[in-house]
Amino acid sequence: MLLQLKNIFKWVNSGGQRIFLLKDINLQVEEGEFISVMGPSGSGKSTLLNVIGMLDTFDEGEYHFLDESVHTLKEKHRSNLYKEYIGFVFQSYHLLDDLKVYENLEMPLLYKKFKGSERRAMVADMLDRFNIVGKKDLFPAQLSGGQQQLVGVARALIANPKLILADEPTGNLNSQQSEEIMQLFKRLNEEDGVTIIQVTHSEKNAAYGSRVINLLDGRMV
Amino acid sequence: MFKNHLKIAWRSLKKQPFFTFLNTFGLAIGMAGALLIALYIHDELSYDKMFADADRIYRINADVKFGGLPEQLGESPEPMAETLMRDYPQVELATRIRDQGSVLIRKANVTSNVKELNSAFVDSTFFKMFGLAFLDGDVTTALTEPNTLVLTRTAAEKHFGVNNAVGQEMVLNNLGTFRVTGVMEDMPKNSLLRDHTVFISMPSFQFAQIGHWGSLNYYTFVKMVPTADMANFQEGLDSLLGRYLIPWIQDYYPGMTEASFRASGNFINYSAMSLTDIHLQSNMKTELSANGSMQNIYILSFVAIFLVVLAVVNFMNLSTAYSLKRAKEVGVRKTLGSDKSDLVRQFLTESGFICFLSLLLAVGVAFLVLPLFNDLADKAISIPFQNPMFWAILIGATLVVGVLSGTYPAFFMSRFIPVKVLKGSGLSDVGGSKVRNSLVVFQFAISILLIVATVVVYQQLNFIQSKELGYEKAQILVLEDINNVNGQEQSLKREVLRLGQVQSATLSSFLPTPSARTGQTFFKEGANNQEDAINMENWRVDHDYLSTLGLELITGRDFDVRIPTDSSAVIINEATLKTLNVSAENAIGLRISSDLGASEDAITYQTIIGVVRNFHYDSMRKNIEALCLGIGRFPGSLAIKMGTQDVTATVSAIEGIWNTIAPGQPFNYYFLDDSFNDSYDAEQRLGQIFSVFTVLSILIACLGLFGLATFNAQRRTKEIGIRKVLGASISQISYRLTTDFLKMVGWAIIISLPIGWYAMNQWLQDFSYRIEVQWWMLLLAAFLAIAIAVLTVGYQSIRAAVANPVKSLRAE
Repeated sequence: MLLQLKNIFKWVNSGGQRIFLLKDINLQVEEGEFISVMGPSGSGKSTLLNVIGMLDTFDEGEYHFLDESVHTLKEKHRSNLYKEYIGFVFQSYHLLDDLKVYENLEMPLLYKKFKGSERRAMVADMLDRFNIVGKKDLFPAQLSGGQQQLVGVARALIANPKLILADEPTGNLNSQQSEEIMQLFKRLNEEDGVTIIQVTHSEKNAAYGSRVINLLDGRMV
Repeated sequence: MFKNHLKIAWRSLKKQPFFTFLNTFGLAIGMAGALLIALYIHDELSYDKMFADADRIYRINADVKFGGLPEQLGESPEPMAETLMRDYPQVELATRIRDQGSVLIRKANVTSNVKELNSAFVDSTFFKMFGLAFLDGDVTTALTEPNTLVLTRTAAEKHFGVNNAVGQEMVLNNLGTFRVTGVMEDMPKNSLLRDHTVFISMPSFQFAQIGHWGSLNYYTFVKMVPTADMANFQEGLDSLLGRYLIPWIQDYYPGMTEASFRASGNFINYSAMSLTDIHLQSNMKTELSANGSMQNIYILSFVAIFLVVLAVVNFMNLSTAYSLKRAKEVGVRKTLGSDKSDLVRQFLTESGFICFLSLLLAVGVAFLVLPLFNDLADKAISIPFQNPMFWAILIGATLVVGVLSGTYPAFFMSRFIPVKVLKGSGLSDVGGSKVRNSLVVFQFAISILLIVATVVVYQQLNFIQSKELGYEKAQILVLEDINNVNGQEQSLKREVLRLGQVQSATLSSFLPTPSARTGQTFFKEGANNQEDAINMENWRVDHDYLSTLGLELITGRDFDVRIPTDSSAVIINEATLKTLNVSAENAIGLRISSDLGASEDAITYQTIIGVVRNFHYDSMRKNIEALCLGIGRFPGSLAIKMGTQDVTATVSAIEGIWNTIAPGQPFNYYFLDDSFNDSYDAEQRLGQIFSVFTVLSILIACLGLFGLATFNAQRRTKEIGIRKVLGASISQISYRLTTDFLKMVGWAIIISLPIGWYAMNQWLQDFSYRIEVQWWMLLLAAFLAIAIAVLTVGYQSIRAAVANPVKSLRAE
């Protein structure tokens, strides 16, 4: 078991009323799963993803990640945990505009204090694997959306995370680019055993996964 | 990692050239200004420290009241040096300088004189005291004999060249023939003897060894042994009065004791002042050269600190504002595993980077404007590029500025929360606007303070210059060195008066401008004792003095050539009435004398025949004191009142007359109003320096405001778009954007005006004759600040307001 959410509640208070963003979420994710989270706008998909990614907190419930009880951890430990095990892929890629492709890939390794020779090897390997060696000295603005997301995925993967969290990874891409990214996810999941949780609006994309979770008004349905 | 930080810093700065420019330029201006001020202060603090053993050298000051008004002098009596040397083992060396002012000097075999502006009689130990080396001649024996002198390099070059001067004969006007026995290097520019070029041996001066304790004419310097106890030495100085002065006074006032001397309110206090303190702390009636003032050092230090603080504040403001653009980056970095401390380091690297760019720019700017600054400050400062200490301090200071200005933005930015900033793709408000707004208020408050200060300083200067002085200073040409025409001054005056444009002329010892004068002790007839003595200045004038200078009689009459007894008559000023304790009417016919202590039949009296309205003959810093004018032959200068036409022709005509009457003597003249203006040089410079730095600080504040306005307009693009779609007009929108900033300026005005009012009132206390800080001066500063803010912000506001809403909304 990779992670487990037990009775997770998250709410905000607005005008004396408690508005639930997440309501009694129970979810268990095994290693090697490929889960798609679906639901209409405002149903809490991204919130759930952020909670799983430990970027956001929750108000009630228990969250176990590997052997750690996330709900009891201090902020500092929590962020160490996600830095170690989780890679993020964003809808709008969020590559750093001032950095070249190569440098964008290198960034997480710098923060994890890898040596220069190791970094070079790992970045070269990733460029190779994603077939973007020729793009390594370009800036993000010089790439197409699909290529940018490719770099985004490569960056999420580079430090060997156990879990990839992708928030509408194809939301800004056309259908052909989408197809390519989803194929990539499938391959990563099947061949390399990477656990993936993605948020998506598209039934077609959801079909790539092994399991679909539907959310409505913060509840799993 | 550091390399990576640097790389990112460089790229993100390159990507926002406008922001980078504003930030770098603002900081560079602040740094350049502060650098110039620091160099100036360093120079002021360096005075006289270059002399060997400067820390052991002291000048003996005298604080004297002996009849009359108390005076503080940097000079002491003639036997002081010898006495100290003899009586006090802790005195290693004592030497005297008797300032001689300007001399006319020439080679023995030529006829035309050269004027050297500063000369002095000095003891032969003078060179040893200050550790001065010779270029030529023997430093130990150079001034032991009468009629010998030593020239500085510059002076020697004028006549002989440095290596040919020793052994040559020179003629000093009125002093005789002298042999050059040495040539020394020019005095350092930052020493109290910087302007002196001719040093004459003390034995040449006939009164230098007569044991006269009464006159205070010798600057006496002592070098103490390294172990000397200064408190103990002070006790020794205190005992001089009883041991030497009172016995000497008894020759003139038989029976006077130290007790009776003190009982009549008199005192003579000697004290030792460190050589290195003289430049900034000594403010005596006479000095070897003009001194600086500690007050100005403080004021300028404040200005320098203000400038840097303004620039730092600017930096903080712009950085936090523009950081909104980089919120996404912070979010991404955090999800990629960056610590807060990593981010802090990254942003600090960036601000450090900008600081060093600014430093380079600042040094460049300072280098370029240094000649102008030197002109303004009357200095010869250079940037010590070769000095490693200079660079060390500069780089150290830059690091401090970098940390000061980078810390807040760095912590501010590193606090961004990823979930929040990664949501949208546009600019989100990340807060901190309260801090930014208060910083703008702070900047403007300082700028307004400086505007108030500038306005008040200039108003006071203007007041001084246009104040009714009680005499007319316009169109009066003053011929100097009249004592060098060999008694021909009357014929000079007669000849000059023949010129068509000359209205009148007067020969006199003094003119009503600040100069080194000392008072004389007088008493009223029938009150011939110490207690009743009054102190007043006594000027020798001729019959045309009052009419030439336009002095107004309030009672009595002017001197009259037809009345022979007027040679022993005096005219007093209003202030003297108070001192004599008589009314103007009763003063006429009163007799006064300066023959204090003489027997009744030996006293010569002078009769008061008139009273002139008070006129400002000294600095406006001082009150008008008692003064009397008497007919006498002691001409220092010839003042010539001219018409307003053909001034140049008249001057050359006067020069022609001068050359016939005094061939070979240099023709030196000045205009009285110029000399008057010169005496407020310090205030003028202060005013100019203030206005320059005020402009700089306003410029910095404007840069910041402009950057913020630009940013604000960008951030509110969506709001502006929506408002326009809903029907807001361009003027409504620009008004809205502008008033936000004006509110801040309003706060700044409220804060700074009371402080400015108080501070400037304090500054004005220094002047006996001064303006009040008027409400309109404060209003003017406020109005200027508002106008500047409107101009700065208005452009951005209007540009934002006229933008097409469809575009701005789509971008969002």
